[in-house]
Amino acid sequence: MKILVAIKQVPERDAQIGIAADGRWIDESDLNYTINEPDAYALEEALQLKEKNGGEVVVMCAGPERAASTLREALAKGADRAIHIEAEDLGERDTLGVAQVLADAARDEAPDLILTGLQSEDLGLGQTGVVLAELLGIPHATIIMQVEKTDTGLRVKRELEDGWFQHVEMPLPALLTIQSGGNKLRYATLMGIKKAKTKETKTVQAAATASPSITLERVYLPEKQKKTEMLTGTPDEVATKLVEKLKFEVRVI
Amino acid sequence: MRAALQEALSRGWVRMVALVCAATVGARIAGAVLSSEIHFSATLAEPGKFSRLEVALLLIGSAISIALFFRRFGPILRIILRSKKDKDFSLRPIGRRVWDFFWEVLCQGKVIRQRPLPGLAHAFVFWGFLAFALVSLNHLANALELGFLRPGSYIGNFYFIFAAIWALLVAVSIAGLFVRRFLARPIWFGTKVSNESGVIAFLIFLLMVSYLGAFFVGDGGVAVKALWWTHTLTLLVFLPLIPHTKHLHLVLSPLTVFLKRDGFSKIPPLSSDEDFGLIAGKDVTQLISLQVYSCVECGRCTEHCPASNTGKVLNPKEIILGVQSYLNQSGPASDAPLLTEGLVDSRDNPPAKYMSMEAAFECTTCGSCEYQCPVGIQHLPIIIGLRRGATNTGAWEDTHGTKLFLALEKQGNALGLSAMERDKFIEKQAFPIFDGTQEYCLWLGCMGGYDPKGREIVADFARVMRHLGTSFGVLKKEKCTGDPARRLGNDLVFQTMAESGLKAFETAKVQKIVSICPHCVRTISNDWSEYGIAPEIEHHSEFMARHKDRLPQQASGESIVYHDPCYLGRYRDVYEAPREIVAMAGELVEAPRSHERSFCCGAGGGLAFLGEEQGERVSNVRAAELAATGAQVVGTACPFCNTMFRDALSSMGDAPPQLLDIAQLTARALPKMQEAGEQ
Ligand code: SF4
Ligand code: SF4
Repeated sequence: MKILVAIKQVPERDAQIGIAADGRWIDESDLNYTINEPDAYALEEALQLKEKNGGEVVVMCAGPERAASTLREALAKGADRAIHIEAEDLGERDTLGVAQVLADAARDEAPDLILTGLQSEDLGLGQTGVVLAELLGIPHATIIMQVEKTDTGLRVKRELEDGWFQHVEMPLPALLTIQSGGNKLRYATLMGIKKAKTKETKTVQAAATASPSITLERVYLPEKQKKTEMLTGTPDEVATKLVEKLKFEVRVI
Repeated sequence: MRAALQEALSRGWVRMVALVCAATVGARIAGAVLSSEIHFSATLAEPGKFSRLEVALLLIGSAISIALFFRRFGPILRIILRSKKDKDFSLRPIGRRVWDFFWEVLCQGKVIRQRPLPGLAHAFVFWGFLAFALVSLNHLANALELGFLRPGSYIGNFYFIFAAIWALLVAVSIAGLFVRRFLARPIWFGTKVSNESGVIAFLIFLLMVSYLGAFFVGDGGVAVKALWWTHTLTLLVFLPLIPHTKHLHLVLSPLTVFLKRDGFSKIPPLSSDEDFGLIAGKDVTQLISLQVYSCVECGRCTEHCPASNTGKVLNPKEIILGVQSYLNQSGPASDAPLLTEGLVDSRDNPPAKYMSMEAAFECTTCGSCEYQCPVGIQHLPIIIGLRRGATNTGAWEDTHGTKLFLALEKQGNALGLSAMERDKFIEKQAFPIFDGTQEYCLWLGCMGGYDPKGREIVADFARVMRHLGTSFGVLKKEKCTGDPARRLGNDLVFQTMAESGLKAFETAKVQKIVSICPHCVRTISNDWSEYGIAPEIEHHSEFMARHKDRLPQQASGESIVYHDPCYLGRYRDVYEAPREIVAMAGELVEAPRSHERSFCCGAGGGLAFLGEEQGERVSNVRAAELAATGAQVVGTACPFCNTMFRDALSSMGDAPPQLLDIAQLTARALPKMQEAGEQ
């Protein structure tokens, strides 16, 4: 089985995020980048599937030069090959735009299965995988906890709300978005890093940006706001108004 | 070959020959005594002429003996020489080597110090052997009429008497050792009685007695011939036994002591892109081979091992013997893994999982074994080497270990907390950020930066520094030194941490560092040197001891038992500085095992971050020992020991002693002092 894993490079969790001068993206200088955690779980799932069923694991990542380090890490953990889709302008591409460059690379590979994290830790849109599946015209399933290969395709376990799960049978090729925590991640090893040096990383240029359907107008840090509203009237009226607000505005009861 | 010999031994012919000879001598002497013919002469009796047949017999006997010796010694030598070269080996510093050789080999300093009585007995046997070498040579030479020590001559006479005194000492010592081994039987000798040791002891005894006997008989008689032959045959039997038994150390250990790696618990750099640690025979280096063949199976390492003493699988002696049997079976070019989960035969004890991953990862890297070993075997490079082989290849799969490595990869600290937690702590304590103007960089470490108790210690130490008026700052960002990764054999994480730390110090232009954690001190000052030169670093005990004149002397009269952390004591040789600080805070009490013999708290070697221990908890054993001294306070000098004892003491129930770091012991007297100053 040939598995393609789409991973994203995101700022480290503890990074002190600042806003770029133009106010349309974060300030990228001084930031350390790492693999998006749900994507790390997608990679782990791919490696385990390969260990069980054989095949090949190819990782791909769209991003500037720095993305190469995350790809190397994935190779060190056991991926066989890497594809670096060079794009300097990720901030300006919307989900569709990113999915398109991923789809271009994926088509050339013609994998049996595409895995990607459920969502990214930076934007958290949770759409890239789904849109990619649509662009490629293959079935997809989201929030996957477990993947099992069957004779006809896959049997997967989806996480629903409230502790409910759903088991789905699906044919191949397909795309799955993987939930964090379903597996145990492995640690990178020296041997892995050494081996990664001999593995192939293909670099392709991302196609030019088509006019995005969504543009980022402004990026800003959460603004702390304190709003005080005085409720007036008799104690009864104040209580009624308070309950109303708690119910419908703040929605805590 | 060994099997054949053992069979021969068990058939007892060797013993028979020896016994017959001894009986002859014994009868002679006894007879002499009985018939009151006995005369002690100050000169040694020499046999007269040797017949051609006798000379021929001697030559043939010698040839067989030497051939048998090399039949076993040759292959051992070949294994050692064909092992991988130690790339980092250097004879320098030669002075240290010569001194170690003088002290540990010639003076038997270590042997005597660690086990005084049997040590002294052993030393007498050794010195006796040295004194005796000339006599034995002369003895053989006599048969060929080449004798160089003439009984009549001035020198000869002196020497024979001199050797006789030694012979007496050896005979008494070896008899004592024999009694100890076969009648007293300390547990660390293992459960199986070592027959070969008995035979060897007997042979040595015989050598001495047959020499001494010659003082009681007249020249040229039958008796003197019989003694001569007893002595000679004993020698010829003894020689081939050497390489077949642990008495191989007679030949190897002087070399082992001289050649051992420079530095305590020194982990050699990986030698190439293909080197991931000790995975198989082909990774075993010459030094390791030499060392494992030098083992005398004395069990000192195991006697002091915190893991072996608390019911773990790990047994350092069996690790050494395990590598030895591996080399015997598979050789130094083998690809077969060193560590297995299966059973490995051990020479002394029933088969057990001694060479297993489980055992290798139970080591706290306390260094007791390496410190104790009388023949210069360095266990830690071997045990950590085995871990490297397992971790660097990903063969070691352990939930807690993986979690630790991922935390170090991602968060950069061993506790897996967000770096922002450290920022908050610094802010709350109003620690200045190091900007190059301060004298010291105060290194927090993972415990000092993230652990609640570690933070208290750092905060108190900062108070001490402020009291002394020493300027200090902390790094804005700090990552783990990589100590747990280093000891668990993860070279990738360790290298990342070391390089990032070195860079941080360089960027901040740090000149001097001080830290509350012996693990950080060791790792920065020693292990990082593989990747660059770190600024000078010292432990807070050293810093405070240097400034003790300006620190308050407390009249509390409280009794404080001090626990030597492995990484401060055995690893850094700092024993007195923390004691000086403790003595200023109260009355210093010594634990039964202290200084070099201190017993580990169980946290080292990354074990603080791994799961629950097998058997008894090391920390409980040590905490109970400390509490049993009756001291009111347990004084620590390492945040890891502190956490371990905190849990152990609190589970001990009724009024356990208070637990304080030396920084806290000092700082508690500060406010009053300051107030007094202000008044
Ligand atoms: S270092 Fe300590 S724990 Fe490890 S084997 Fe040696 S004595 Fe035992
Ligand atoms: S390794 Fe050293 S201390 Fe341990 S049994 Fe062998 S000689 Fe003795």
